[in-house]
Amino acid sequence: SWRSSVAPPSERPGERRGAEMKKLYGNDAAKILAMETAMQLTFDRNCDLKQPKYWPVIPLKL
Amino acid sequence: MQRTWSLSGPLDWMRYINKYVEVKAGTSEEREHCGWLLTVDPVSASLVLVNFGEVGRASVRVVMGHVVEKVEVLQEGDQEMVDRLQAILIQTQSSDLDP
Amino acid sequence: SISSSAVSDADSEELQREQHARSVLRERFLRCLLAMANKKVHFHMFEKVKVEATFGASDIDVLNFQVSDLHTPIGVQKEALIRCQDVISLTFDL
Repeated sequence: SWRSSVAPPSERPGERRGAEMKKLYGNDAAKILAMETAMQLTFDRNCDLKQPKYWPVIPLKL
Repeated sequence: MQRTWSLSGPLDWMRYINKYVEVKAGTSEEREHCGWLLTVDPVSASLVLVNFGEVGRASVRVVMGHVVEKVEVLQEGDQEMVDRLQAILIQTQSSDLDP
Repeated sequence: SISSSAVSDADSEELQREQHARSVLRERFLRCLLAMANKKVHFHMFEKVKVEATFGASDIDVLNFQVSDLHTPIGVQKEALIRCQDVISLTFDL
């Protein structure tokens, strides 16, 4: 898919992700990684806490 | 290149920043959106458009990258507009998630 | 040889410009997502669906938005996840 070339991998071990980030963002990799980590943490925490369900249940766009 | 907005690289996207653009979406509804381009997400190719309203107010629209078909520059941004957009960015930084 | 190292210098300069552009764009986008937290956001979705919700957070791959108080056509859903693939655009005020 078109996302695969630019999407940061979400479930890889930290080290591999770090290398990937370095390739994508160069000297700013650490800054972007820190921002992303904080954001993902907020998302995960909110989902744990609030247990949101998908809406709509069936995707509109299949 | 336009057929493949989402495949364009950061350097291509950068050329649209701070300009007034028209975005055509490849959907039957919500076909067109205009605004000053604040950024393009390099991960999802989504655009962030800003339209200024009354003093100090701005309306922000995120157009998801997967629907973008075509982006056209309608107007270049002058220094005043660049400054106004910069002010919007500073406003977003009052967020509590600084690294 | 000299010429090939000149080429690789140009390549690495190009790469650095690209990396810098990518990080500027990404940081700006992440800031916008963060700025949306706790704001009323209007979602324009496929099938002419328009809903309003209080934005919570996005995952970093921009696949899901976590929202609260989602006003659906059939009532309010207190906590919800919206698939980004279902969304055409979203708006909020600053």
